[in-house]
Amino acid sequence: MEYKKTIGIEIHCELKTNTKIYSDSINGYGTTANSNVNVVDLGYPGTLPTLNENVIRTALKAALILNCDINKIMHFDRKNYFYPDLPKGYQITQAETPIGVNGYVMIEVDGTPKKVRIHDIHIEEDTCKSIHYKHHSFLDFNRAGVPLIEIVTEADMNTPEEAMAYVEKLRELFLYADISDCKIEEGSMRCDVNISISKTDELGTRAEIKNIGSISNVGRAIVKEAERQEELLENGEEVCFATYRYDEKNDKTIMMRVKEAGNDYRYFPEPDIPFVEITDEMIKEVKDSIPMLAGERRKEYEKRGITTLNANKIIQNRIISNYLNLFLDTDINFVIASNLLLGDISAYLNKSEKSIFDTNLYKDKFIDVVNKLDKGSINSKVFKDILVDLMETDDSVDEIIANKGIKIISDPNELINVIKTVLDNNASSVSDYKGGNERVIKYLMGQIMKETKGSANPELVNKLLLEELNK
Amino acid sequence: MADCLTREEVLHVARLARIELTEEEIEKYRYQLKTLMDDVDKIKDVELKTEERLISPATENATLREDTPGEMLDPEEIMKNVPESNGNFVEVPVMIDE
Repeated sequence: MEYKKTIGIEIHCELKTNTKIYSDSINGYGTTANSNVNVVDLGYPGTLPTLNENVIRTALKAALILNCDINKIMHFDRKNYFYPDLPKGYQITQAETPIGVNGYVMIEVDGTPKKVRIHDIHIEEDTCKSIHYKHHSFLDFNRAGVPLIEIVTEADMNTPEEAMAYVEKLRELFLYADISDCKIEEGSMRCDVNISISKTDELGTRAEIKNIGSISNVGRAIVKEAERQEELLENGEEVCFATYRYDEKNDKTIMMRVKEAGNDYRYFPEPDIPFVEITDEMIKEVKDSIPMLAGERRKEYEKRGITTLNANKIIQNRIISNYLNLFLDTDINFVIASNLLLGDISAYLNKSEKSIFDTNLYKDKFIDVVNKLDKGSINSKVFKDILVDLMETDDSVDEIIANKGIKIISDPNELINVIKTVLDNNASSVSDYKGGNERVIKYLMGQIMKETKGSANPELVNKLLLEELNK
Repeated sequence: MADCLTREEVLHVARLARIELTEEEIEKYRYQLKTLMDDVDKIKDVELKTEERLISPATENATLREDTPGEMLDPEEIMKNVPESNGNFVEVPVMIDE
């Protein structure tokens, strides 16, 4: 009989706010060490916390997206522990009245949907960042007081794939709702995985793997930790209730420390922050501010003929997706639009390090150019030629085409002459075609485009060429 | 009720505070901490007039702060107040685990 894995996940996300949670210093690290710091962040005696409204609203947004019940009257709690990364000696967090409880999120593995229940989502402050070097540790308080939300699941997952799908789902939700950057590699999203194995319905002793640095490592760490626990149990030994980390280089989990009991933290309500009331009005405002999320976008794109692969590519780039969404109420060809955005336009944006919203590709210009491509009145070569002007000038598509001296031959009489010349010069291809080889059409098209220096209306050429060949 | 804490209880508290105690100190604190705890315990004798939870002396709900940056400290000023520094960093003896 196989061991069954039971997995629960705790995720910390840094919230995208201007200032810290309990002080008005800037929420930004990665800049000069200890430059975004004030007396509150340093835990100076006599300082008091002031609660950032945006933190409450952003955390509320996360709780609503995760279908949680909201604690409308909530308070904060002190978690006491003595450590240099926390100079005031306690972390202000939420233990008794987390902002959201009893939520859930739907995940999908190999087409099978599964509900992962959310135990709670609570608000707390980050600690300072410490860098260890030989016999010293160096502290940077820029991170101290950065707002975090912690999302705790029930132990509802049973495979590494489900765990990875959950983390990915949460990341996508939070990115689209503008809650967090969710950069796992840079630490703005941190995953702790709890895992135990058992052959019976009774759960085994769990181990916690802390701070896993990527979604794929979440899967690897679970596989390796389950293997380790299985070996222990098979040898008649016991799993120790402890904290581990995943060592990517050696692909194994390494014990960090035996866990302290929860009551050693001596939680008690934070007396410096009175009760916080979440009003129905605030809930409504926050609900209304939630944009279309990734899952819904994917459905809209696929409904308009975009492949799953391309829909996912667009969703990976929120700005491009936001741009494409401007056209959801128009009847442009979304397949062409998505190909342009993922192809030449993305290449241009990457090269020029611009956001599409900072270019001159206004809504009506984009509609015009997509429609022209759709009708075949310009081809992709012309699009490439006018791309920079589309992005950088205020001129209309027609003006750009005229200014660039690009001639688009849409006169059938003119084209017929070119086609006839090309067919005369390629008699062998023509007989190949008559012999049933349809592939020569592509070659002949190429010759005609070459003859017209790419200025022929491709759809018209195709039509006229077939007529001529079938005569 | 015992009139002093056990040796283990004192050592446990010392470990949470990350301090080292001599044998003499352990003995001394077994009694001192007990006195302290008894003093705090007196709060349990207060007769409550309400069932309502009270977490703060403030009777109003929390006022929330606007998310706009205020003044911050100059790193140089911060370093004047720390025992050891290294460049812009606060330096402390190496922290074990984590």
